[in-house]
Formats: sequence, structure tokens, C-alpha cells
Amino acid sequence: MKELSLNILDIAENSVKAKAPLTQIILTESEDLLTIEIIDNGCGMTSDIVKKVIDPFYTTRTTRKVGLGIPFFKMEAEQTGGTFEIESKAESEFPNDHGTKIKATFHKDHIDFIPLGDVVSTVTTLIQGHPDSDFLFRHVTPKGEVFLDTREIKNELGGVSLAEYEVIKWIEEYIKEQYQSI
Amino acid sequence: MTVAEFAEKYSMEVLSMPEPAREIKGGYMGDLLSWVMGRAQADQAWITIMSNQNIIAVASLVDVACIILAEDVRLDESITENAKAKGVNVLTTKEPAFEVACQLSKEI
Repeated sequence: MKELSLNILDIAENSVKAKAPLTQIILTESEDLLTIEIIDNGCGMTSDIVKKVIDPFYTTRTTRKVGLGIPFFKMEAEQTGGTFEIESKAESEFPNDHGTKIKATFHKDHIDFIPLGDVVSTVTTLIQGHPDSDFLFRHVTPKGEVFLDTREIKNELGGVSLAEYEVIKWIEEYIKEQYQSI
Repeated sequence: MTVAEFAEKYSMEVLSMPEPAREIKGGYMGDLLSWVMGRAQADQAWITIMSNQNIIAVASLVDVACIILAEDVRLDESITENAKAKGVNVLTTKEPAFEVACQLSKEI
């Protein structure tokens, strides 16, 4: 993909499909590294399935025989000299502590590094598409931090849906303002 | 022209040829896999320099006639085996991608 933010969107959509009440997207940047973590508390996967999702010929969809979200993400990290890890605990084996954690590290100064792109759109698209799920977004940079937790916003708003246009616009502006101030 | 005929005529090395009689009906050149996935068409020959296992998945999904690896790019044996198992033809040549495209244009 041309932007890593599109990969993040694709993988976080898997978390929502796995019925995760909370999906965390955590970006940590240093001078030369970008680490992207996507952590959910959804139904998780058994170790057999984890091995398969790295295989580009596996998918949870039935419409095609290949699933490329995770294989592409892994390739994009590794082509910068970075790393990719996936850990998962299936609900069937860990009823009280289940979910999936994906962590990819990118060398930002490598010529094959794909830019992060519009991560604000990724976050607002996820929230608008899945207002009943919760998302935590944190982007730590050497200059400062951007943070959003939909659970906090829901507490403030009472019963108003996060998919409402005014609400999603406000969330977008709120994140953008934080980026401008760091 | 079939994939086997094209490989023979331009002295390309065959890495995987489970479907030698596939007809080449066009060409596509690109290395950004998600882009290729959305734009390449079935029955085209896909010219690339990428060599990870994802190219086999993209080729299978798009149903290209073959992958042509330019500039003598080679595949790990496990990837070649997977290509054969998934019915994906893969050729390799020392020529750069542009030259391969020129060769293709003479035949289609």
C-alpha cells in the first residue's frame, strides 16, 4: 500500500471483526524508528491460525483465496530492515485474557520505507464505521504525544453516537490540533 | 503467444511452469503489490523485480498468465515450490523490466 495508515486501517478492521471491545493503535517514533502496535481484546486466534495469517494464501473472507493485509504489513516492515511480530491468545483457550497484538518496527531512513500517511483519517474512519467499539490511539514522537480514547469521549457525551457527523468532525479537529501543537 | 513459447523465444529461465499453454494477452509492470493487485488484469504477463512470497499470492488473485522477474531476480526454493503448487508460471530473465516490456510488445 502507498501509506502505512491504510495497512493500520485494514488490520484494525480485523480487530473489530474479532469482536474486540477495545482496539489500541500505538505509534512510537524515535529519530530513526517507527513502531506500530495494534492491540485488541477480541476473540484472538489459536497458534495454528496465527501461522496461517502470515501466509498470503489465508483469509477469513470466503470470497477469495488470499488475504494480504498482514503479509503486506510484514513485508513493508522487513523491507526497511525492520521487524514484525504477532502474538495471539484465543478466547477458547484464554477465556479471561484473549486478543491479538501486532507489532511492526520500521527504519524510517531506509529508502524503501513507506510513509505513514494520513493516520487521522484512519482513526476517524474506524470510529465512524464502528461507533459501538472503542479505540485508543496514541502517537508518541520525540517532540510530544497525541492521544485519543473513545471511552473518555463517550463518558463526556452521554448517549450521543460517535458516528454523528458533528462528533466525528470534532474528533478529527481534536486530533489535528494535538498534532499542530507538538 | 503462450507463456512457454515466449520463454523459449526470449531465452528466459523457467522457475515455475505449471500452465505452459497459458496465452499472454497483455502486460503489466509494477512493484508496489497492492497497486498491482488493483490494476493488473487477468491473462497479462506481470513484470516485476519483487521476489517475496506475496507476489505468488498477487499473481494468483489477479490470475495473470505469468510473472516475469526482470534483472535476473530469483526466488527462494520454497516460493518456487509454492508457485508450482498454486498454478503460477514464473520466468526470470537478465533483461531489465523495460526491455522485457519491449519484447512483450512485439508478441501481443
